[in-house]
Amino acid sequence: MFEKWKGLFRTEKVISIAAPVSGTVVPLAEVNDPTFAQGILGRGVAIQPAEGRVYAPADGTVDLMFETGHALSMTTDDGAEVLIHVGLDTVRLCGRHYRVLCQSGDRVACGQPLIEFEPEAIRAAGFDPVTPVLVCNTEAFTAIDTGRTGAVTAGEVLLTLHQQQ
Amino acid sequence: MKVVTYTIKDELGIHARPAGMLVKEAAQFKSDIKIAGPKKEVDAKRIMGVMSMGVKKGETVKLTISGPDEAAAATALENFMKANL
Repeated sequence: MFEKWKGLFRTEKVISIAAPVSGTVVPLAEVNDPTFAQGILGRGVAIQPAEGRVYAPADGTVDLMFETGHALSMTTDDGAEVLIHVGLDTVRLCGRHYRVLCQSGDRVACGQPLIEFEPEAIRAAGFDPVTPVLVCNTEAFTAIDTGRTGAVTAGEVLLTLHQQQ
Repeated sequence: MKVVTYTIKDELGIHARPAGMLVKEAAQFKSDIKIAGPKKEVDAKRIMGVMSMGVKKGETVKLTISGPDEAAAATALENFMKANL
């Protein structure tokens, strides 16, 4: 009997991932890098940054802060594995134009600055600073809303994840 | 069980893109596939795990593959690493 009740009251958990950087939302399929555009690394959107600062998109733990500062992955307290990749192929800049503000293993709060970077210098070096923000463990969620478009300010809701409880 | 070891030759190590491609390759197989770097062992079918190994050039990774298609997976993944890493 209780099993039946459990079924009736099954609820959906809705998890928000905030924009880690201010700028303009770009659909992932329009990102000029097949690894991102084809969703090989996960689902999400990209942001063409208007300023050079990345903030934590949720409370959680940094899994890997690349020493080069061009990307970081974190697990949010809600269990979303988020990858923020600042620019395309920017691993090749070997840390130039990036400043790392956190370390692998750090606990971070939503809105805490994680990376500083120079979008104009990155462009001048021949790279696109467009920043994919992806959920890597898509299978953990029943739906991922990637419908946000247009201008976005860091801290606003960027992705909405749905999970059956 | 099959074991494949490989020393990373790519200057940039296993960063985001190669991690994604390796996971995509591994995910095609039914076998259980683990990958171990100097720091830790992770599930080779999970992007976050593979990326978080932080494997650099010159470091050796060990793949441990067990399941119905382990032989095919070992060959495919060894070839993938030789071609891409």
